[in-house]
Amino acid sequence: MTTVLSLKGISKNYGRIQALKNVSFDVPAGSVFGILGPNGSGKTTLLGIILDILRPNAGSFELLGHPPSAEVRKGIGTLLETPNFYHYLSGERNLRIAAEIKGRGLNDIDTVLQKVNLHQRKTSKFNTYSLGMKQRLAIASTLLGDPNVLIFDEPTNGLDPVGIAEIRELIKKLAKEGKTIIMASHLLDEVEKVCTHVAILKKGELLASGHVDEVLVNEDIVEIAAADLEKLENTIQSINGYTHIKHAENGTLQLFYPMGSAKLEEVNQHCFNHGVVLTHLLFKKKSLETKFFELTGKDSDR
Amino acid sequence: MLHLLKIEWLKVKNYRTFWVLFILYLVSIVGANYLIHEVLQANLRDTIKKQPTDAFIRMMIGSPPYAFPLSWAMTAYVSSFLLIIPGFLTIILFTNEFTYKTHRQNLIDGLTRNQFISAKLLSIVTLSAISALTVGLTATGFGFFTGENPFGGNYARYLSLSFLQCLNYCVMALMLGTLFKRSGIALGVYFIYVVIFDNVLFQVLNKYIYNTGYFLPMESADNLIPLPLAEHLQNQFLDRRDISDILITCIAYILLWVFISFRKFKTDDL
Repeated sequence: MTTVLSLKGISKNYGRIQALKNVSFDVPAGSVFGILGPNGSGKTTLLGIILDILRPNAGSFELLGHPPSAEVRKGIGTLLETPNFYHYLSGERNLRIAAEIKGRGLNDIDTVLQKVNLHQRKTSKFNTYSLGMKQRLAIASTLLGDPNVLIFDEPTNGLDPVGIAEIRELIKKLAKEGKTIIMASHLLDEVEKVCTHVAILKKGELLASGHVDEVLVNEDIVEIAAADLEKLENTIQSINGYTHIKHAENGTLQLFYPMGSAKLEEVNQHCFNHGVVLTHLLFKKKSLETKFFELTGKDSDR
Repeated sequence: MLHLLKIEWLKVKNYRTFWVLFILYLVSIVGANYLIHEVLQANLRDTIKKQPTDAFIRMMIGSPPYAFPLSWAMTAYVSSFLLIIPGFLTIILFTNEFTYKTHRQNLIDGLTRNQFISAKLLSIVTLSAISALTVGLTATGFGFFTGENPFGGNYARYLSLSFLQCLNYCVMALMLGTLFKRSGIALGVYFIYVVIFDNVLFQVLNKYIYNTGYFLPMESADNLIPLPLAEHLQNQFLDRRDISDILITCIAYILLWVFISFRKFKTDDL
C-alpha cells in the first residue's frame, strides 16, 4: 500500500456556501501530511468527510486502499477539531469507551496516558482538566491500539509552548516509527517543522499539494540600494542568476534567487565594476509565511 | 448487540445525573401508587364501615383496587402518569452526545451511524423493561399487602402493555433528540406536546371526529391501560373495550419514531 488516503473530487456545500470545491489529492504512506489553510478554508470539513461525520455533496475517497467504513476507521487514531469526551467521566474511563469501540487498545490506556504526561490525573473527571490536558487526552486517545495512521486536526491547539514542543516531538517520533500522519493546521510554522508533504486550501479550493520543498519553495533575496537607484537598476540587468527584481517599500531593490544560489560578493563586485557603489547590501531568506500569504492571499477567509 | 450495550453501560455507569433521576423515577412508581392506594383504600374502608350492608357499591367497584388481580391494572395505570420522566432521561442521554460532540468521537473511533443509534435504542428498551419490571414488583407488593385475594391475574398483559407505553414515550423522546439535537428545545417540545398538545388534540378530535383522538401518539399509549375502576364498570354493563386497534396504533408509532430517528441520524451532517 503506497497511498493511505486518496481523495477524488470532494465537494461540500453548507447551503449556499461552498466549503470544498472539487478537492483531490493523495496522501502517501509514511508521510507527515499537512493540510494547511487559514481559518475557514475547509480543513476540518475535509477531515469530517473522511471520518463520516459530514456527507460530501460530490466526490469519493479511499482510506487505506478501501472504500471508507467503520472498520477502517478503527485502525486510525483521530483528533477532530476539539477533544470530544464525556465531561462527567475520568480521562481513564473516557479512554476505556474509545478502546471498547475500537475493539483494541484496552491494555494501552496506561501507556498512552504516560506518553502524554496525563497519567497522574487519569482518575480526575474530564471537566476538571485544563484546555491543554483535554487536548493531551485527545492525543492519548488517538494512540490507543497503536494505529498506523493518525489524523490530527490542530493538534497543538490550547497547549502552552512546552506542550507544543512535546507534541511536535511526539509527532516526529511517530513519523520515525513509520506511521502516516495527516495533520490539519493554520500554523505554518508547525507544518514547516514537522511535515514532509503539504496540501494548501483556501476557501475550499486546493491551491497546491505535494512535497513540502516543492510546494513551499523558498527563495533567497538580495536587497540592495545605491544613491542613484535608476543607474543601479540598469547596471543590475546584466547580472545572471536571479529570477526577478522587485522595488521594495523601503526604497531598495530586491533580487530573487532560487534557494541557495545567491552570491553577495558577486553582486557587490558587479556593481562596483560598473561604477555603482552600494549603500545597502542585505541577504534575506524568504519566509515561509510570505509564501503562505502569497498562496492564500493576505485576507483571512472567515 | 451486547457490545453496543456495554459501550452504553460504560457511558452511564458513572453518570450521577442519570442515576439520581432514574432511581427517583423508580421510587416515584412505588410512591405514586402508595398515594393512590391510601386514598382509595381509605375511601373504601369508610364506605364499608358506614354502610356494611351496601353490597351494591362493593359490586360496582369489585374488589379493592390494589387486590389481585386488579392490582396489575391499577399499578400500571397509575404509573403511566410518570412516563414523561423516562422520556426526559432519554432526551438527556441522547442530546448529551451532541452537546459534548461525543457522538462524533464514537463514529470516528469506529462505530457506524447505525450502531450508534441502535445502541441508544437498546438502552431505551432496557430502560423500559426495568420500568415495567418495577411496575410489576410494585403491583405484586401492593397485591400481597392488600391481602384480599391470592396472587393471580393477567400480569403478563399489563407488564407488556406497561413496557410498550414506556417504549412509546422514550422513542418519541429519542426522535425529538435527533431532530433538535439540543437538550433545551427537545425537552421543551417534548414536555409541551406530551402534557398539553396531545391532550388538547385528544379532546378536539374526539369531539369533532368520532373517537379519532385515541389514535394520537401519546393517547394510543395512554389508553392501552385505562382506569381499571372504569374498566370494571364497563365490563359490568358494556362490551369489553377492544384495545387491539389502539395497540396496533401504539406499535405503529413506535416503529415510525424509530424509523425517523434512524433516518435522520444516518443522513445528517453530525
